[in-house]
Amino acid sequence: MDNVSHPFYDTLMALTQVSSNKCAGGFQKVFEHESSELRCKMKFAVYLPPKADTAKCPVMYWLSGLTCTEQNFITKAGSQLPAAEHGIIIVAPDTSPRGCNIEGEDENWDFGTGAGFYVDSTEDPWKTNYRMYSYVTTELPKLINANFPTDPDRMSISGHSMGGHGALICALKNPGKYKAVSAFAPICNPMQCPWGQKAFSGYLGSDRSTWEAYDATVLAAAYSGPQLDILIDQGRDDQFLTASQLLPDNLIAVCSEKKIPVVFRLQPGYDHSYFFIYSFMHDHIKHHAKYLNA
Amino acid sequence: MTFNCFQSETVTIRNRLQGKIAEMESFAGHLEEIFLTVEENFGRQEQHLEQHYNDVLQTLSQRYDERAAGLEEEKKGKLEALYNQLLACGQAMDASKELIETAQEVYRSQDKRLFLKEIDLTLATCLEFNTPLADLSDVKTMMDSINVVPAPSAPVINPQMPNSATQTSLRVCWSLFSDDTVEYYELYYRPVLEDMPADSTFSTVKVKETHCTVTDLLPNAQYELWVTATNTTGISPASEKALYMTVPSPPVIKQRECTSCPEAALIRWESGNTNPVDSYTVELSEMGTDGTESSVTESIVAVPTCQCLIQLQTGRRYLISVRAVNIGGPSVRSEAITVSTTGTFFYLLEDSAHPCLSFSEDGFTIFYGDEELPISAMALGDNTFTRCVAVLGDLIPVRGRHYWEVEVDDGTEFRIGVAYEDTGRNSYLGANNTSWCMRHILTPSRHKYEFLHNGWSPDLRITVNPVRIGVALDYERGTLSFFNVDLEQHLHTFHCHFGNYVHPCFGMDNPGALTVHNGIEAPEYTFI
Repeated sequence: MDNVSHPFYDTLMALTQVSSNKCAGGFQKVFEHESSELRCKMKFAVYLPPKADTAKCPVMYWLSGLTCTEQNFITKAGSQLPAAEHGIIIVAPDTSPRGCNIEGEDENWDFGTGAGFYVDSTEDPWKTNYRMYSYVTTELPKLINANFPTDPDRMSISGHSMGGHGALICALKNPGKYKAVSAFAPICNPMQCPWGQKAFSGYLGSDRSTWEAYDATVLAAAYSGPQLDILIDQGRDDQFLTASQLLPDNLIAVCSEKKIPVVFRLQPGYDHSYFFIYSFMHDHIKHHAKYLNA
Repeated sequence: MTFNCFQSETVTIRNRLQGKIAEMESFAGHLEEIFLTVEENFGRQEQHLEQHYNDVLQTLSQRYDERAAGLEEEKKGKLEALYNQLLACGQAMDASKELIETAQEVYRSQDKRLFLKEIDLTLATCLEFNTPLADLSDVKTMMDSINVVPAPSAPVINPQMPNSATQTSLRVCWSLFSDDTVEYYELYYRPVLEDMPADSTFSTVKVKETHCTVTDLLPNAQYELWVTATNTTGISPASEKALYMTVPSPPVIKQRECTSCPEAALIRWESGNTNPVDSYTVELSEMGTDGTESSVTESIVAVPTCQCLIQLQTGRRYLISVRAVNIGGPSVRSEAITVSTTGTFFYLLEDSAHPCLSFSEDGFTIFYGDEELPISAMALGDNTFTRCVAVLGDLIPVRGRHYWEVEVDDGTEFRIGVAYEDTGRNSYLGANNTSWCMRHILTPSRHKYEFLHNGWSPDLRITVNPVRIGVALDYERGTLSFFNVDLEQHLHTFHCHFGNYVHPCFGMDNPGALTVHNGIEAPEYTFI
């Protein structure tokens, strides 16, 4: 097998199709691969719109929230129809490394497995595997661009809750890399909320200054780069909003001051679930399409 | 020798005789010709005379009939009167008889004075017929006119020819029946006015030709014309009266009431004529990129009213003008208006404006001054906003896509959006179900934005205050979207099936100004 040494084949061979279903005229697929960044097998979902048969398409990365796998988004969010309409490939990775046999990884629903928080951990015992930030911003895009009909210059990012936090920090830390960004009920200021404090102290240690690199509100205050246009939807009856886990007001205050364009919509009656996400997915895909297809 | 001499003399005589014979032959020819001409002339003259005497006889017999009928009538009257008198006479006789009897009785009686009763027995009817003098002067004129050159017969006036009229002139043509000798014609004309007395004055032109151009007329007016022919003998009877019409004055396009969009233009104009015209013709030509005008590319004819909605191609420039048309033909073109189909273009309906609003000269900047208006200045029309300090725009009624922008400053509290034409003038924009608007509110802590319809707004926060707002209306999809133009940022979309046509609306809740920018191409992102 001298093919193994060939880098292209190396990557290609590493992809294993787990499932493929025709959906909205295109295909919803799930693949498995060996992640070099996370040092474990990872699954990700990819939706290929009908347009991908004949042309290179832009890619929207979707980052899910706490406890999710790649399945929640593709089965509940209703993203495929609008993605097909606008010719956008959607890639939805898992939310953390899995099966790394780290002590305590499965003990909490808001830390460890299913709660990677899209950071590169610096602390033992997590730092070897929990490098979700590098995974979603570097390894995964490379893999996707090598294996699917994408236009590498046109990518965008979105997510929900912890994934909303992930989407915001990816966009704010990499000016110009993502053409558009949006979020559903994101954790806007993790340094100031219980979820974030727990995760950051676990993954990054007790020095709070290192946390700032992964806090959307802090990053926004220091942002300089191409004009952003951030769309955020938030359910007004979201229990985690009331529990001060999400803190959107802090982000809005900073963005107002820094003149970073945000449209923040407080949707009455909606909670934190995928029912809420499903209701506004169309608006978000359209928001991404505006910049991805410009 | 003698013989020879005699012979030569004979030859001479013979030649002379031959010459004479030839002369006589030619003379006889002339005589024959003259005879023929005379005969022909006599024939013609005879015809004329015969016709004329026939006319005279006809006239006389007509007169005779009339007169006889008159006498018959008179005789009948007289006989009736005599009969009546006879009856009366009979009755008088009876009465006399009675009287005689009475007289005899009286005679027999002692009193002898009663017999002297008078009875009137004279005839009341005159026995003479009253024959008026016959006026035979016209017959005499007819007899006198049996002359060498007859007076011309009545000319025949032609009906109006197409394109023979202008705004102030008419070209009139006529002809004669026969080869009448005519020295000149006289053309009479007068305008046909509604309140014209039957014997109103007319004008006359004397011409030698069988046509004439009458000038200095009123535009879009009907004229009655007739013509007579005159020669040395006399004047012909008048022709039939013909009706001609001058063409109308050109219409005047009402620039400020014209509106357009990428697919169409609505042109409105004033007739330019006091009398109604038959119809209007709208002409359009496309302008080249270098500003040159092509020839007329399209005209819309038989437009009955003073407005016309014209379908156009997107992204072009057109010159549009109007002509008024009546039976006499089309007027000259009105002044042209330039229409660009880059974007949607409209003016504000200033008659809908709240009295506190004033407008820049170009009509696109709206001011809400902070000085209080005296009550007297608060003259409110039926169409005027009375509570909300607002004004409507005159959007073209085309169910397509429209886009315009509004420039504001972030210290102005405004309401901008769309409203049905009949939206309540005494309610606030966005407070009812006939208007949709974006509202900016200044609170002590922040800038608040609402997207109001029927008094309800979603709850949203906008971190960068828009100072140039794009408004995109899509009738087909039933959407009204707002954008921060500087950021190309989508702010909100109303989803609503607009059953009626809407108008842009602009309101202010505190003193300030806003400027409408239109006629601009909708950015691509506005209709994703």
